[in-house]
Amino acid sequence: MPRATTVDCPGCPPLRALTFDALGLIKVIEARGKGGGGVPKVVDRWGDPDASKGLVAASLIDRKIDPLLAVARKNGVIEILNPLNGELFFSVSDLSNDGVRPEDNAIVGLHLFRKQRLELASRSCILLACRTKGNASIKTIGMADTKAGSGAPKTWNVCASGNISFSEVDGSESYALFGGKGVEVNMWDLEQCTKIWTAKPPPPNSLGIFTPTWFTSATFLSKDDHRKVVAGTNNHQVRLYDLSAQRRPVISFDFRENPIKAVAEDPDGHTIYIGNGSGDLASVDIRTGKLLGCFLGKCSGSIRSIARHPELPVIASCGLDSYLRIWDIGTRQLLSSVFLKQHLSKVVFDTNFAEEEVKHDVADTATLDALSIDETVGETEKPPTKRKKSSSKENKEGKKKKKASSKEKDGTKKLKSKKDDFADGQVSDLEYTL
Amino acid sequence: MGGKRKDNGSEGVEGEEDSKNSNKKMKKEKREILPSSIKNKEKRSAVHAKLKHQKKLDKRKKLKARDAAAKRALELGEEPPAKQIPRTIENAREADETVCMPDDEELFAGNDADEFSAILKQDRTPKILITTCRFNSTRGPAFINELLSVIPNAHYYKRGTYDLKKIVEYANNKEFTSIVVVHTNRREPDALLVIGLPDGPTAHFKLSSLVLRKDIKNHGNPTSHEPELVLNNFTTRLGHRIGRLIQSLFPQSPNFRGRRVITFHNQRDFIFFRHHRYIFEAKETKQSDSKGKNVKDTKGEGISKEKVIARLQECGPRFTLKLVSLQHGTFDTKGGEYEWVHKPEMDTSRRRFFL
Repeated sequence: MPRATTVDCPGCPPLRALTFDALGLIKVIEARGKGGGGVPKVVDRWGDPDASKGLVAASLIDRKIDPLLAVARKNGVIEILNPLNGELFFSVSDLSNDGVRPEDNAIVGLHLFRKQRLELASRSCILLACRTKGNASIKTIGMADTKAGSGAPKTWNVCASGNISFSEVDGSESYALFGGKGVEVNMWDLEQCTKIWTAKPPPPNSLGIFTPTWFTSATFLSKDDHRKVVAGTNNHQVRLYDLSAQRRPVISFDFRENPIKAVAEDPDGHTIYIGNGSGDLASVDIRTGKLLGCFLGKCSGSIRSIARHPELPVIASCGLDSYLRIWDIGTRQLLSSVFLKQHLSKVVFDTNFAEEEVKHDVADTATLDALSIDETVGETEKPPTKRKKSSSKENKEGKKKKKASSKEKDGTKKLKSKKDDFADGQVSDLEYTL
Repeated sequence: MGGKRKDNGSEGVEGEEDSKNSNKKMKKEKREILPSSIKNKEKRSAVHAKLKHQKKLDKRKKLKARDAAAKRALELGEEPPAKQIPRTIENAREADETVCMPDDEELFAGNDADEFSAILKQDRTPKILITTCRFNSTRGPAFINELLSVIPNAHYYKRGTYDLKKIVEYANNKEFTSIVVVHTNRREPDALLVIGLPDGPTAHFKLSSLVLRKDIKNHGNPTSHEPELVLNNFTTRLGHRIGRLIQSLFPQSPNFRGRRVITFHNQRDFIFFRHHRYIFEAKETKQSDSKGKNVKDTKGEGISKEKVIARLQECGPRFTLKLVSLQHGTFDTKGGEYEWVHKPEMDTSRRRFFL
């Protein structure tokens, strides 16, 4: 008889998550199964393994119609993808860094704005990108245009010195938060590009010791209120700031002994989840600063990112131990874990996932992928991909039909679809020239 | 008896005599009473002793039957019945999904991209800096001397009172490829910290069972040829990474004529270090078959039935390592992120290993 207890992993509810790793691969993990018994599996892998194109930041607009995914790579390239099938819409490489290598001034935070100022037909999207040295920029990337931005990107410098570690945008998308090593947490108004608030460090303690500022991660506490902010430091402290009250932290508490690497908030507005550098994940009630409990589940690597599912009571955590783990919030139990083989940097949930049986039709996927990376090629006439309530396979079929019809009526449009990255290795070389 | 027969009939026990049936049933009932449920100590110990004796007899009977079957098969010229494989913990190891598969392209891509690929592709030659903790005594310096002879191109620097982070900086300036710190506790070396440079991972090992060269009987003396490296049983992804870390300490071009081999054998998460010199010899030594130096000078015509074996002579220290933590950057316990750290909650089963 085995002399130790085995931890059972009950399955997780149906969900879909996308993970981004250090080799530049995006993996799609889906869990199917009624009730709570699904086992998540990797259903898709997008991208080529290439360490110079490692993913550093990602942002997903999670909506039924026309979801978009923006990812930033280590070499400075920002790509806009379709989160349903990984199809690249276009990519922008940032040439505004003269003299500085992209790796030194990598993108630290990326946010795709949900509200689009231009009409839907031209399908442009607005991004906020922030780099390590403090250059933040809001760019409008239009699919119809030939240039990188239809208007001049708004750039400003967030900090004079120090390195930025994170950037977050609040629920109403009008305020942005930045902070980092040597940079206090500061909040900017995005419409006017002005700094409206900076945090003040707590006073040195009774011994006169003053720990240098090093924020590693932060989040807005609730989607509607931009005034409460929770930040985690390198010195294993978690601080709650209230803009309407004071510049010093309102509550500050310590959590174990490693830097807090990820903070995520719960939609109920008073619980947060923190993950630190040695793999400890915990939930804390931020009103009192009390630790509600730790999530025990053999996580042995630093947690890089935590995502809370907007509807289901689950959170996903990923990190340097190459596992994606799904936890139940109420019982703090590990529901399931998926081994993903690389150091993961971020995870996002895709909520518009309706669980129905999908047969992965290989021929279907082969024809639809990987447009050429050339910026000038867009898909102007293709209607926005409608996310029906049914499965994604039908969506792909619908797209295929639309593509076929567009082939007939299209003008001078030249599409080249390259070989995709799937293991089956089907090469489909469709060239539409009319 | 009649009633019992009826009971046996209804249970459907296959064709044996009825009396035997009833006896068996009574014995079954007795056996179902566990000795631990008997409160009376004398009676309990008697029942337990009887049970053990019975088990011993059963085992001996089985062994005899097996031997007899094997002997009979040999006499008849047939194949003996297959030998049973004993169950060991390594045999019964839990299936681990992190085991490296040979056809995994992500593994190779990851290998190309990781911190050791420059050294392993021979773009940089390994240059090791060995140092100690601040207080070093007794067995520490002896161990360090032996390490210096084991690892080629290793340099020893006294620790002084430098911070380890500063030492990392100095080493980067002087173009070292790794730092090895031997940590001593209670006058015995007990931890090894291997830091890859420039910003490579930091592995913290617990060192135990150290046997120095002078304590090994019939030990040999290591030469300065580049050693061959044998890394056994590093199957999982974590193990693979640690294997590459160890590999990056040694030069990538072994000198086979030097006949010197260093082995890191991983078993149950313990890494055993051994250092040998080997000689190939033929067992039926009518023909001298060894490479290099050989004491015997017989030059006979060899009968072609010789078995070539390798004889080993141990030299150098012998110790075991166990991985405590693997950190992603250079040494920074407070501010660093860990790729793998051992937590007690991970030890859920005796058949689960991580390396």
